[in-house]
Amino acid sequence: MIVHQFAPTLEPGAVGAHTLVARDVLRAAGHTSEIYASEIDPAWADRGVHLLRDARGRADVIVYQMAIGSVVADAVLAREEPIVVNHHNLTPMRYIAGWQPVAAYGVTWGRGQLRELAAQARLGVAVSSYNEHDLIEAGFPRTTVVPVLVDLASLDVEPGPAPAPAPARTDVVNWLFVGRLAPNKAQHDIVKAFAAYRRFHNADARLHLVGGGREDGYAHTLQRFIHALGLDDAVTLAGGVSPSELAAYYRAADVFVVCSEHEGFCVPLLEAMHHRVPIVAFSAAAVPETLGEAGLLFDVKDPCTIAAAVDRVVGDAALRRQLVDAGARRVHDFDVSHTGPAFVEAVTSAARPA
Amino acid sequence: MTDDHVDIHKLAAEIEAEVRARRAAGEYPPGFERELDRMFDRFAPPEVSNDFEAALERSEDLVIVDPVIPVASRSPVLGAVKRVMSKLLGWYHVWLAQQISALATAINTALRLLGGRVVDLEHVTGDIARARGVGARIPARRDDGAWQTSVTNALQGCAGRIAVVECGDGVLLDALVSTGLDAYGVEPRASVADAALARGLEVRIDDGAAHLHAVGAAALGGLVLRGLVERAPLGELLLLVDAAAAKLVPGGRLVVCSLRRESWGRDATAAEADLVAGRPLHPDTWNAVLPEQGFVDIQVHAAGADAYVVTATRADE
Repeated sequence: MIVHQFAPTLEPGAVGAHTLVARDVLRAAGHTSEIYASEIDPAWADRGVHLLRDARGRADVIVYQMAIGSVVADAVLAREEPIVVNHHNLTPMRYIAGWQPVAAYGVTWGRGQLRELAAQARLGVAVSSYNEHDLIEAGFPRTTVVPVLVDLASLDVEPGPAPAPAPARTDVVNWLFVGRLAPNKAQHDIVKAFAAYRRFHNADARLHLVGGGREDGYAHTLQRFIHALGLDDAVTLAGGVSPSELAAYYRAADVFVVCSEHEGFCVPLLEAMHHRVPIVAFSAAAVPETLGEAGLLFDVKDPCTIAAAVDRVVGDAALRRQLVDAGARRVHDFDVSHTGPAFVEAVTSAARPA
Repeated sequence: MTDDHVDIHKLAAEIEAEVRARRAAGEYPPGFERELDRMFDRFAPPEVSNDFEAALERSEDLVIVDPVIPVASRSPVLGAVKRVMSKLLGWYHVWLAQQISALATAINTALRLLGGRVVDLEHVTGDIARARGVGARIPARRDDGAWQTSVTNALQGCAGRIAVVECGDGVLLDALVSTGLDAYGVEPRASVADAALARGLEVRIDDGAAHLHAVGAAALGGLVLRGLVERAPLGELLLLVDAAAAKLVPGGRLVVCSLRRESWGRDATAAEADLVAGRPLHPDTWNAVLPEQGFVDIQVHAAGADAYVVTATRADE
């Protein structure tokens, strides 16, 4: 069977990595599969991805990787093959309006396109039950859930040097969060909790915020906030990092803290589980679904509560062991060896008449 | 599973309780967390706040589009190409920038005029937001002890969390928690909430209606509405009842605590009372409204001479 994927942009990140792994599992299952995108990040120019203009020939099924409004959706809608929409996430406007006008436009555009796609697609595949609600609301006639495809083996790279600022003492507690600097990921709430932790628990702790978007307005506000708190030397805004640098951050981390208001899946939770870092998280959107029992989950995120939770996790060796063991079991369920066949079955089922 | 296996849900609840106890013991300075919020808000752009004037000023700051093309480049060749392009296309960019700036200026002017008209309209019809603010400050007489027994009895056996909207200084909430109920409070006035927090109670500093709308569907076993029900306009009260029906589990209990209309605002000045958008409903009105939203077993209990309690059950679906 020929199953081609179309994506707005192919770039390093959860959706891009998922698209590449999806191609691999489709090919491994004996299907012919290519990826077409309107833009390809230079860093991934060698991944064998084609530009949209080069899309030729007929496929048996087209998979559209949906995360934002794009001309690629219009191109997909103009084709005659059965369409499967693989829905990742459309951040609600309330989180980005005012911060990211361009992204806000893209999301509005995307919501309109999702409804158009619903009218034409045979199947909507959401990466979480939380996201599936979007598909049902948009009017998809048939939906299913297959988690983001993650190749855990790809995370096992040799860690680079210790992240800066390098911990001078072994008793320094390193907090970590990985994700693009964005208001829906609420890094500012992590900083607030971190400030409480420094004040009431451990004045030498460090916080590493890894992820792109350092040029956006939200990032500038975050920097000014960190400066006003006097935390310039304690908080690192690392930006986008290489796989080996990312592995180094996970290796140095004592705790992974999530305060996101909105996540469609939250792949970094799986990375933290894989790297055996205990997790403290705010229970919102798809976070509880992805995390399961593998972390401490709170339905409030006031700074003192999150700080106290981190203090408990860091200081209680048995609890820490329980959480990382639970994480190791949990992440195994998400390995592509389990999720890949489900993805292939879902996608290829769309080629069969209903 | 080993003996030292920790129930992480219980642990999370323990940590929350521990933080409340530490807060009550004064280990966390009062207002520490709110100061963090305020500090971040100071740096956030006006577009994410509700400050119309600030948003308009920000918009006006951005009206002028810079027609000068950046030509800097780490590559000398690319830099030279950019400079040539800039010279060749400079006139075109100036022309475009002028048109865009003119359009933005016109839109901003129109927005400012529109804003002025809205202010005029508010002067004529009354500023609802300001009236609500005044209403929220009215020191209506409250004796939580008067309705404590009815409320506690009505909520016994509730499965799930109980939210007490506008919990005030936490007297009623404290009574519920002390009988073993899993209750938390919501209070919009931070200074009032501090008293409840100091008792070691779980309190969210939030607008009651906004909190209720943010809670997940069928997430609550019980809901107590007080304060807001005495001063919200009728339309908002009906929305509140809709939200209560949606957020309670089937079989969940709704309790409305209200002063009677004739005693409400007795201690407020006439001007304060007059500026409030709504008035307490007569108990019979709740009797009429609640069944329409699927509530059954509606009962009205007197709570002294000045107040009453309405209890109702969310019908099974």
